[in-house]
Amino acid sequence: MLRKSLVVNPKDSVAMVLENASKGDRIQTPRGEITLLEDVEFAHKVAIVDIEEKEPIYKYGEEIGFAKTAIPKGTWIHGHNTGCDRGTQKR
Amino acid sequence: MSMNFMGYRRSNGTVGIRNYVVIIPSVFCANSTVEAIADQVEGVVALRHPVGCTQIGLDFEITARTLIAMGNHPNVAAVVVVGLGCERFTPDELYEGIKASGKPVVKFVIQEEGGTANTIKKGVAAAKEFVKLASKMKRVECDLSELMVATKCGGTDATSGLAANPAVGEACDLLIAEGGSAILSELNELISTEEMLARRAVNEEVAKKVYSAVYEIEEVLRSKIDERYPGRNELISPGNFTGGVTTIVEKALGGVHKSGTSPIVDVLEYSTSPQPGQKGLFLMKYESQDGEVVTGMIGCGAQLVAFTTGRGNPTGFPFVPVIKVTGNQFTYKSMQENFDFYAGDIISEGMPVEIKGKQLLEMMIRVANGELTTAEKIGGDELFVIARR
Repeated sequence: MLRKSLVVNPKDSVAMVLENASKGDRIQTPRGEITLLEDVEFAHKVAIVDIEEKEPIYKYGEEIGFAKTAIPKGTWIHGHNTGCDRGTQKR
Repeated sequence: MSMNFMGYRRSNGTVGIRNYVVIIPSVFCANSTVEAIADQVEGVVALRHPVGCTQIGLDFEITARTLIAMGNHPNVAAVVVVGLGCERFTPDELYEGIKASGKPVVKFVIQEEGGTANTIKKGVAAAKEFVKLASKMKRVECDLSELMVATKCGGTDATSGLAANPAVGEACDLLIAEGGSAILSELNELISTEEMLARRAVNEEVAKKVYSAVYEIEEVLRSKIDERYPGRNELISPGNFTGGVTTIVEKALGGVHKSGTSPIVDVLEYSTSPQPGQKGLFLMKYESQDGEVVTGMIGCGAQLVAFTTGRGNPTGFPFVPVIKVTGNQFTYKSMQENFDFYAGDIISEGMPVEIKGKQLLEMMIRVANGELTTAEKIGGDELFVIARR
């Protein structure tokens, strides 16, 4: 089933789903159609490109964190696979 | 769109968009006296608060500075100060602080007047005179450069960062392009965007102030938690993660949107006006408690507030209009009487942010001209809360 989603900035590597979506559902993105590899709740994020381990994750055109493991497109992006140390090392 | 608005020009040159007579207690002991005065005179507001007694240091300074700033606020036509007589923050200090701005002000001290009844009687007579005076003041044409809007995000959800905050940010950019000003605060919710914000500073000195302001707030938060929570993600509430926010940066990026893209001119202390002639985007040092931060930004001189909320929020300020903006179509439908501006079509219809920002600025101008906000219509006044340290 095609689900509503939103990519905020052309640089982004994630889309936000705008309705509860299930594994196998699809979303349309500027990077092409993506098939969800797992269930994703409203307002949560999905990788729209393959992201390598330690690679930055972009939303709003900015780095919101980095991949703790390799994240294939269609994967739910959240705390289990996303690290964040932005700003903390600059003190 | 008309780029001017009709405001009240005060004797010190500032411009108000409302014209209230305000009764201010210098200490909480005078609260019921102040409210009794306000109850008997049409068109006045009382500023009930819980402070003014036995405060010291920064805590005392913030109370003093804020109450004086409320009296000096351009939306206020005249002030009746009511004190008890033995408080740390003396009625004299409040009276003199307001008088210095050239505003009509009188002072009554309960212990000197011989009790509540006498004070109320004199206060009512003075307030009536001031209302008569205020009613003769006329709105005059003012330039948009005289307008300062405070930005605030409360009851945030996933739509705030996508629709409501970008619309407010765009409106701020347009206002600043016309020479006006905006304030961004809630620094706890901007942690991890300090680098982006510092890049927007007008010079190196202001960039340093941006970094130290954010770090200072982070320290305030860290002082309340222990070493089990070393990361920055632990500084935001778990509800954020349930709602789909993954990191503190993602939250902050949604919040920072409400300031638009304009350069940051300076970093302000709580309830402290910019330097004379300074215009543009300011950062105010404070956290995000709705009332405390809004009161501080109004103390900096903001004449109106743009308040984004995804969950819905009915609050208002006693003498400053608060424009409620939402990006959530469901909340908008269920709580329409509490909203002034709907930005959800940015998400559902792909409506360009530029168009919504322009519409919001137009609404700000109408509100500046006197159109009542939903919070004003229901008499919301909860956002007057003085910060404590």
